[in-house]
Amino acid sequence: MLNRIFGLETEYGLLVNQDRPEYSPSWVAQRIRDHIFRVDRRGLLDLHHRGHDEPPGNGGFLINAGRLYIDMGHLEYASPECTTLADLVASDRAGDRIIQQAITALGLDATVSLIKNNIDHETDATFGSHENYLVSRQFPFSRRGLGPLVTFLVTRQIFTGAGRIGCASDPNEWVQIGGLILHRPGLRDAQDRSIVPFQISQRADYIVNDFFEWVQHNRAIVNTRDEPLADPNQYRRIHLLCGDSNMAEYATALKMGTTGLVLQLIEAGQAPRGLGISEPVEALQDISRDPERQWIVRLESGQSISAIDVQEQFLAAAQRHCRGQDEETDWVLAQWESVLADLRHGYETLVGRIDWASKLWLLDTYRDAEQVAWDDPMLKSLDLEYHNLHPERGLCYGLEEEGRAPRLTTEKVVQLAQDHPPRNTRAFGRGELVRHLLSGGGAEPEQETPQEYDDHTSYDYIINWSNFKLRGASPFFMADPFRTYVQDVRSHLAGQSALPDRHDAG
Amino acid sequence: MRYMLMPDRREAPGDPMPKSPSPSEEGGGPRRPDTGSPDKDNLLKRMRKVDPKQAERYRQRTGE
Repeated sequence: MLNRIFGLETEYGLLVNQDRPEYSPSWVAQRIRDHIFRVDRRGLLDLHHRGHDEPPGNGGFLINAGRLYIDMGHLEYASPECTTLADLVASDRAGDRIIQQAITALGLDATVSLIKNNIDHETDATFGSHENYLVSRQFPFSRRGLGPLVTFLVTRQIFTGAGRIGCASDPNEWVQIGGLILHRPGLRDAQDRSIVPFQISQRADYIVNDFFEWVQHNRAIVNTRDEPLADPNQYRRIHLLCGDSNMAEYATALKMGTTGLVLQLIEAGQAPRGLGISEPVEALQDISRDPERQWIVRLESGQSISAIDVQEQFLAAAQRHCRGQDEETDWVLAQWESVLADLRHGYETLVGRIDWASKLWLLDTYRDAEQVAWDDPMLKSLDLEYHNLHPERGLCYGLEEEGRAPRLTTEKVVQLAQDHPPRNTRAFGRGELVRHLLSGGGAEPEQETPQEYDDHTSYDYIINWSNFKLRGASPFFMADPFRTYVQDVRSHLAGQSALPDRHDAG
Repeated sequence: MRYMLMPDRREAPGDPMPKSPSPSEEGGGPRRPDTGSPDKDNLLKRMRKVDPKQAERYRQRTGE
């Protein structure tokens, strides 16, 4: 895609398949992380504090230049910086594969399932799929400038949603009494849960604001935190957390590709006008829950319009202004058009391409065969199984196996993405660094203990997204994600190799 | 119309990872479901193996 850096961050769920679990999901997450870094040697654990919730050893960068760590008890994988959708989809699936392979290697296949979803039906917990798009610093990052993006994001769920059984309860229905948080009996909750058998988005229920800067509370359609992880004079990073984790490669590519094109339209002042939604947060939830799938939204102008019509206006603008700029753009435009046309004719035509449609078709197939109602608890379990990353169990993978879900990658490409970074972004340089240090070019501690970590003066390495520092050397900055820095990194490492080892220096 | 605001790349892209075939190259693009075909049986077989209690056992913390 033209002049765009993409990234995806995925928080995974871990299901321990035991009545009385011997271990918690968080404990399992730590074992998996340790296996990936210490046994598979796929990356370097951080030696330094990255923040209050990322102590040394919590995670680190991988040889594919992505990052794996534990966040709020969840395993999280951040893809390396990618300029193409092909690389992004491959890198995203590479993360899934790295973790699933670790579970298998640990002998935990029978008891632990890796689930790439965003909700827990029982506890109402939610965890994220975060999208990153690098834009120019001149991007109109104001409420007015971001208006078209909000409209696009509210309506794009008709092809990006992963679908779910039921809905989240209203957070106001939980009340704190003393030290306990108890459910406040409320009619609305009971009514909502019974009238929402299925909705198309996992995250819509958890988005409560249009703009906000934090990610754990008050989740917003547009996250406004200004953390470019690049030269702040040139770049801004659009960080979105309102989307679902997609299982279908096609859906991942379409979600990131269409959003990238809409950002391009906004940057160029070519986004469609007059489509401001009057209550975007409410509309987000209404679209997701609409049982008739009419997806009508009310605009600030007072006009009512369907989400498909809104999307078609964005598509038309993108066709006018972006068509022909590169091969992937044309692929996105063609698929966007195809999906919107098919959405007018029922969801069945989208099975395999769009996650919520695939899930709904599977659930309907099961309900027909077993004659069960929407409130049958088995359906929640099937909902989860759609996201199971075990190739022989996951229902999405079942669709792929049956040839119903198109692959945009091949197994060979995914394997490459596990072991190698994209070669046209700064991920290349970072991957070179990690590989060099893992091969003995750095003095990785054999036993990483808190005592060693407490030595703040002489870390062997500190690696961040936009810089790194090796012991005894000056910091190396990688402020431009479009540059590979690979020759500079090699030169830096060659100079570093000439330095005496700390343990030999006396 | 080309996007002009982003600073120019200062380094030409290297060799990207091997390009995966597009759906069209693999024969006609995304397939639509054939609800009457035998593979529906395979998917039902997969679904019937699912532990009905697993959603209850899936106890996750809120993340981000």
